[in-house]
Amino acid sequence: MNKSDDPHTWLNEHGDYLYRYAMSRLHNDELAQDMLQETLLAGWKGYARFAGQSSIRTWLVGILKHKIIDYIRHEIRGRNLTEAVESDPTSAFFNANGSWNESPSAWKENPEDLYSSEQFQKTLELCINNLPEKQQIVFRMRDIVGEDTPTVCKCCDITSTHLHVLLHRARLSLRKCLNTHWFEKGTHS
Amino acid sequence: MKQACHYASRLASDSLDRPLSLWERLRLKLHLSMCSNCQNCDNNLKLMRQINELMRNNHYGEVRLSDQQQNQLHKALDKHSASVN
Ligand SMILES: [Zn+2]
Repeated sequence: MNKSDDPHTWLNEHGDYLYRYAMSRLHNDELAQDMLQETLLAGWKGYARFAGQSSIRTWLVGILKHKIIDYIRHEIRGRNLTEAVESDPTSAFFNANGSWNESPSAWKENPEDLYSSEQFQKTLELCINNLPEKQQIVFRMRDIVGEDTPTVCKCCDITSTHLHVLLHRARLSLRKCLNTHWFEKGTHS
Repeated sequence: MKQACHYASRLASDSLDRPLSLWERLRLKLHLSMCSNCQNCDNNLKLMRQINELMRNNHYGEVRLSDQQQNQLHKALDKHSASVN
């Protein structure tokens, strides 16, 4: 085994970078470590397929990216969420004329302060976990992991129109949940 | 216009994922200029998007594997290569 195809070397040289990539998309250290381990092993097994057109790091990131998407898809499906039927919560937010039942309020807080708040992250995670299965999968892939829309459509085998419908529902429910559990709650201690 | 706020919220969400057509952009802009509820909703959605982007791009900038994690990973790699070779 020479230096370039040794997973131990990959771990030493790219481990932190890959771990950071996984953490920033999964927000969970144990899970990020598992994904990194699987990525190094998969890379080692599949090294023959590495054509050397890109750097080892880019190639490993590609593997990790797929592992993360697969994880989100299977893990959330495996949870057997009670709300199997994808209801349309957006209809509950509007009256028969399509006007708001409950007026959205202006959020005064600064995104710079919120993203680094552990407390806010917890609230956000709680709200995301309340979403029905499909909405949760596409929202995590699109807005948390940051995949582009063609990738999400392909992974979930849905049309772009269906994706827009699901994201609209997910975002309005999250908006409402964050409003109730964070922005209108006042103190966050 | 019928279903105006419901539709505006859909356009506000869609604008985060695809370029709106000229007609859609005009319709959304006109509605937002008259409706503070939808203005707030639009801003809330944009703020949520911004926070998630910041979290992904900035929040974990300093994160590293701990020595313990490094050791566990090296061990796992050894174990696996031993079982294959
Ligand atoms: Zn409106």
